[in-house]
Amino acid sequence: MIRFDNVNKWYGDYHALNDITAEVAQGEVVVLCGPSGSGKSTLIRTVNRLEEIRSGQLVVDGFDIHAKSNTARELNRMRSRIGFVFQSFNLFPHLSVLENIAMSPMRVRGVKREEARATATRLLERVGLANKAGSYPAQLSGGQQQRVAIARALAMEPPAMLFDEPTSALDPEMVGEVLAVMRGLADEGMTMMCVTHEMGFAREVADRIWFMDAGRILEAAAPADFFGAPKHPRTQRFLSDLRAH
Amino acid sequence: MAALYDILRDNWLLLLIGQYPYGPLGGIAATLILSVLGIALAFPLSVALALARLSPWIALRWPVTALVYAVRGIPLLMIILWTYFLLPILLGHVVSGFATMLCTLVLYEACYLSEVVRAGIEALPKGQGEAARSLGHGYVGRMRFVILPQALFNMLPSMLSQFISTIQDTTLGYVINVQELTFAANQINNQLLTQPFQVFFILAITYFIVCFALTQAARWLERRVTTRRLGTTAPTAIPLPTGEELA
Repeated sequence: MIRFDNVNKWYGDYHALNDITAEVAQGEVVVLCGPSGSGKSTLIRTVNRLEEIRSGQLVVDGFDIHAKSNTARELNRMRSRIGFVFQSFNLFPHLSVLENIAMSPMRVRGVKREEARATATRLLERVGLANKAGSYPAQLSGGQQQRVAIARALAMEPPAMLFDEPTSALDPEMVGEVLAVMRGLADEGMTMMCVTHEMGFAREVADRIWFMDAGRILEAAAPADFFGAPKHPRTQRFLSDLRAH
Repeated sequence: MAALYDILRDNWLLLLIGQYPYGPLGGIAATLILSVLGIALAFPLSVALALARLSPWIALRWPVTALVYAVRGIPLLMIILWTYFLLPILLGHVVSGFATMLCTLVLYEACYLSEVVRAGIEALPKGQGEAARSLGHGYVGRMRFVILPQALFNMLPSMLSQFISTIQDTTLGYVINVQELTFAANQINNQLLTQPFQVFFILAITYFIVCFALTQAARWLERRVTTRRLGTTAPTAIPLPTGEELA
């Protein structure tokens, strides 16, 4: 579904992504973890080309997303099929919750207004916010905003969803409600890549965990192996640092 | 004081609409029409200029940046005189003072407004554009549905201030015989000859009333914009810790 082939990225002299070769299978849930600055967010942002890469190939659902030959139209169509959830929600503050969700299907995919609103209402019910349709983002809590952001991404009916630290900007008591929605998606077989520090979520929901450090994927393993028998010394140190807290 | 009253009583119509219907529309009416038309036409142009200045294409960005810097660096009066002499040469026929003044105002205000628009766009969090992009919106969709509605709304107070400046800038139309409010006042002064202080006091007060009313409107608008931006209710009320809790 998402295949990285020798992906390299540099920020000036800094090698941000170092020869990343990996694959996320259809329906698989991959959690990216690692110390800050290890390249997790950069990696996930290359998948819908919010970040450019220097070399290598990244194929999403059969589409070479970084190909020079892509037209803007092709790239936008592909982007619309990859759900992206940001750490800072990035809801559109000038639109109501319902409009936030219904706007892009209407404007990008040409879905009819009534249909888009019906879908949006259904998605709001699904994330437990049916009563907030007419509210504006600023009137919602962080957890509610992030759930709307997930619904907004889902409205484009993406075959894959990317989450970039979706709970890092939330108060602790709101983390659970967002993770619950994500867990629901995983249970339905959504292909997901998720950068998170929520190790409990990683352990329960992930099919595989990619551990990153200094722009490389050092270890890719099922949660049981990752937490039970980490192979790489850097992973071992990372996990023991986690436990120390 | 009585003199002021007499001048007003005898000339209020001239101050209001100039010599209309026996001559061109003038007075406050012309001043306001000139300002409203000026800002209304300058606004779409300013958005275009701002987008050009933010464009990744150098061929678009540089000439527009040069234009904006040039216009901002030249007194309005110079531009008015240039337009006054240049437009007839370019068009090959006489252009009215009103039209000349309007063209100049549109160019001048558009350049100033474009800086406001640019600042408004740049002040939005980067995540807004990224969210729009990740949902598949192209450049036009991003600007039209996400960036500009927010940026322009946030800029409403600045745009109203620019409008107030425009009203004051129309006085310069006097030098090319545009029959607006200042022109009317000068006509009255030429008639009376002996009361320049009173006449121009009336002129000043008139400008002040119009601009002060609009300034108040701008302040009201600014408060509303701020409240809207913050949301009508706070997402979660965080009680401030009392002195005891802190101690």
